[in-house]
Amino acid sequence: MKIVTLARWTIRELAAKATLYVLAGISTLMLLFAAFAIGTDSTADGLTITFFGKPASPPVTHEALADIAGKIEAGFAGGLFLGIVLFGVFGTAGVITDALEKGTVDLYLSKPIARWQLLLGKYLGSVAAIFLNILYFIGGLWLIVGLKVGVWNTRFLLSSLLLTFVFAALYAVVTFFGIVSRNMAIAIIAGILYFMLIAGPLEGRQTGLYLLSESGVYRGILDGLYYIFPQIPAMESGVIHLISGEEMQATPFVQSFFSAGGILGLAAWLLQKRDF
Amino acid sequence: MLAIESNALSKVYRSGLLRRQEVTALTEFSIQVETGQIFSLLGPNGAGKTTFIKMLLSLAAPTSGSASVLGRRLPDVRVREKVGYLPENHRYPGYLTGEQVLSYFGALGGSHAGPLPGRISTLMELVGLSQWRTMKVKKYSKGMMQRLGLAQALINDPEIIFLDEPTDGVDPVGRKEIREILRDLKRRGKTIFLNSHLLSEVELVSDRVAVLDKGHLLKVGTVDEMTATGQAYVIGITGTLPEPVTVAARAFVIRLSQQGENVTAECRTTAELNRVIDLLRKHGVEITSVTRQRSTLEDSFISLITGEARP
Repeated sequence: MKIVTLARWTIRELAAKATLYVLAGISTLMLLFAAFAIGTDSTADGLTITFFGKPASPPVTHEALADIAGKIEAGFAGGLFLGIVLFGVFGTAGVITDALEKGTVDLYLSKPIARWQLLLGKYLGSVAAIFLNILYFIGGLWLIVGLKVGVWNTRFLLSSLLLTFVFAALYAVVTFFGIVSRNMAIAIIAGILYFMLIAGPLEGRQTGLYLLSESGVYRGILDGLYYIFPQIPAMESGVIHLISGEEMQATPFVQSFFSAGGILGLAAWLLQKRDF
Repeated sequence: MLAIESNALSKVYRSGLLRRQEVTALTEFSIQVETGQIFSLLGPNGAGKTTFIKMLLSLAAPTSGSASVLGRRLPDVRVREKVGYLPENHRYPGYLTGEQVLSYFGALGGSHAGPLPGRISTLMELVGLSQWRTMKVKKYSKGMMQRLGLAQALINDPEIIFLDEPTDGVDPVGRKEIREILRDLKRRGKTIFLNSHLLSEVELVSDRVAVLDKGHLLKVGTVDEMTATGQAYVIGITGTLPEPVTVAARAFVIRLSQQGENVTAECRTTAELNRVIDLLRKHGVEITSVTRQRSTLEDSFISLITGEARP
């Protein structure tokens, strides 16, 4: 119950700091753009998708149109993914570090809540706030594509949950560095650097980092790191495959679930040991 | 029943690379606080006062020793259900209003004191913030923040209230109101543990006082015990002190002097005091009062800290 209270007030905090509204504003602009841009036209040869009234695809059958609509949705989801990484991490990194500030953490920890509950409540509150934004954008786009193109892709709607999970995995890393440093800027930089300099290169290690050495130990270490950390790029690909109707690998999600859980557990342990 | 008990509680903070730098905040600190008392911990900055409270609230772990609150050996998260805390330099989320702060921290505390909205209204009234209950706390003055902090500490109707510099930034009228609140809490059987630099405030409300310096307990006792200054007495008289009395008394007392209508006689024993009174009466001096001379708590505190009065 205390975790729910903390999560609920964290959403409120993000709303008060305008983080939620800024993210919703960006989503609204993208949705308006999509609403005005996307349309369909019916010709004797079939249906065609239009972009600002001009044909953007050859005339196709309704089934083929669904594939094209799925690819458009996947493109938007890819953009949303980057938006989550940048704006989501920027907007929520302060939730953990603010709670650990001198004068604030004393108030929280003088209440009958365990430190891991404080951590989890704040973490889940941030993730829930980002989920609301993702749901708003994905749900809005799903409605626009459904109403204007006539394709109701439920997989696209489902992707909102998976994209939230991707954020949650990345946010576990941000949370960890927030606990260690108690500094918002360091937490943000660490999260972004992890995404750009660790997760990406590790995902493509077989065509990149492997080439630096043929040593089995070296490659074993790279493989080990790959399975220790959340597999953000692999999950992004999985979401896009899901939306496009292609086969999606569940392994990166399962592995990242345990990885993010382990990182949060380590963060909770460090928090427990700390004197305030 | 003891509200607080600490046995040889010590705290060493470690910092720096490989945690090699050590700062001793508290050394084998042992005290007992009875329930229903107002107990004050005094000491200069860095004496270890806040560290002690933080260890009682499990915000910091003791290096050695043990402590219990309300009979529960620490650390025990359940203790905090019965504890209220006003930290020094507390910071509430600025986006919340005063009543939202109480609602939030009341919910986290698992308020057992009836429905929160009613309790919030009562406490806002008690600390004089009813008028500003819907104002965001980022607009509150320092004094208002202290009042809100006190209300927050009381939101869960705690049995023990830890207050770290509660009157910091509060004007004299507000300080008097806070003193009244503390006395009222005491009347209701609450235990109050106070850290304060304002010794005159402490003197007015405390039952017992402990003085701490550089992590060491220097003295503990009632305010009377802390402020008593040996065998000096102030004898109220009418008129002036006759010269023969002065001459005769100075033969056996340590010091005898007159300021206005008060004669101060510093005696070794009460027998000497009685001899001074006999002399005065013999010379027809009317005695209006006899009181034991006391220093202020501030004088006693400074004497202790500077080493003049260390046991």
